[in-house]
Amino acid sequence: MLRCEAVGKRYGAGRWILSDVDMEVATGDVLAVVGSNGSGKSTLLRILVGLSQPTTGSVSGRPPRIGYVPDRFTGHDRISAISYLTHMGRIRGLSASAARARGHHLLERLSLVGGRNAPLRTLSKGNAQKVALAQALLVQPDLLVLDEPWSGLDASAHGVLAEFIDEVAAQGGAVVFTDHREAITEMHARGAYTISDGRVTSHGGRHAGSRTSMVELVLTVMPTGVMPIEVNWSVLPGVTDTARRGGEVVLRVAREHSDAVLLTALQHRWSVASLAGAGAGAGAADERSARGTAL
Amino acid sequence: MIALVRYMSTVLLLSQRYLAPLLLFLGLVAVLTSSDTGPLTATYASVAGAMLPCSVWLTMTLIGLEDQAHRSIVVVSAGGRPLRVLLATVGTAAIWCLLLMSAGLVLPLLSGTHTPGLTDLALGTAAQLTCAFTGIAIGVVCSRLVFRRQGYALVLALVLLLAVLLGKGVSPVNIMLTHLQSASDSADALAPTGALLAVTAGLLAAAVAMTQAITRRKA
Repeated sequence: MLRCEAVGKRYGAGRWILSDVDMEVATGDVLAVVGSNGSGKSTLLRILVGLSQPTTGSVSGRPPRIGYVPDRFTGHDRISAISYLTHMGRIRGLSASAARARGHHLLERLSLVGGRNAPLRTLSKGNAQKVALAQALLVQPDLLVLDEPWSGLDASAHGVLAEFIDEVAAQGGAVVFTDHREAITEMHARGAYTISDGRVTSHGGRHAGSRTSMVELVLTVMPTGVMPIEVNWSVLPGVTDTARRGGEVVLRVAREHSDAVLLTALQHRWSVASLAGAGAGAGAADERSARGTAL
Repeated sequence: MIALVRYMSTVLLLSQRYLAPLLLFLGLVAVLTSSDTGPLTATYASVAGAMLPCSVWLTMTLIGLEDQAHRSIVVVSAGGRPLRVLLATVGTAAIWCLLLMSAGLVLPLLSGTHTPGLTDLALGTAAQLTCAFTGIAIGVVCSRLVFRRQGYALVLALVLLLAVLLGKGVSPVNIMLTHLQSASDSADALAPTGALLAVTAGLLAAAVAMTQAITRRKA
């Protein structure tokens, strides 16, 4: 539904924050936008929701009902959380009672602690973030745009947010969110875009199944300097690939054999430098390089 | 639109930031019109003059209350139409100015000795509205939407205020106030004041259009 074509953005005569961005958001999509701080993630989202005009290119097919959660929701207002949600619901065209009921329901699900009648400015960062999330969901959105929605949320709210995202996608809406943590984006998104140096690259969807089927294990010499015992890795069950990078050994192991291989390595006095889930085949290589730029 | 105005009015009411311009207005009206026995045209000219800085202050305060994140949410909630939100802001400022205006109409009658007629009240309304529209126009242009640094905005607001008060023969406010000071009959003064009110309404529309264009460019 939403389509960005050759979108570029800069403020005044400053540097190009985004250049030549092509992006397509279809119904039911859950897309992550990954990038470091200041890479232009928020700017891209502001363009998607229509708050900001692209300097070049065009955005078309923006749906009417959009939920937007900005990266900072500083509640300096004296207005109470539930009253704020009621007002926002009314602005969205709900009746006052419907907006209030929906607000109570959302805050209930997000388990807002500290009182719904407490002024916004007395809320902690996490609780203010919950109010920000609730206002975006007062009306079931066609497009839900979340700027770093997990920041400040507690573990239980993480689960509720994941539910919200799934609900919007299931009801024919689309979700676009940002986060700088790969683990979170991989867990929730079905597709991802990486921003670096103003350029946006798509790096496929989540490879359900294949992602968890392989583990990449990087072994190194122990920091104490004790020399490990050499092992013929390639004969171990489940090892598909071995490589040496300097003093390190990089193994790709099938998930069901990874624990056994790890145990063997530790018994032979190898130290684990890193352990990561990896996709299989060419897609995995793409994702690794994309992750390299994102970090 | 009504929902937006209600929301903004609530935020302004709860913030209590309306108090300073309100007290300034009441103070100015009390000082300028107490134990006044002259014609009401001059009295209401003074009240209208007091309305001018207060409406600027009120408008700048109202817009300054919300930071960018909150305003973004309001704009998205209002269907992604920033002009609608800006118009609601101006409407909210106008409603608060109407509250000031009613006080400005009644207070001089209580403190001085006058025999008010309907034309006097109509003239008082038109005169105060002329100043309120001008003030809101200045306030919108000098608001946080246009100037990120409120120090510059304040200086510009003061310069514009002085310009419209002292701009002889150019500023509708100056023309109206000098005319009303010398006029003795409200009925005669009503028509030119009404014409100036229409001019300032156009001025306000121009200020809104300018602010909208600038915020759109900056966003």
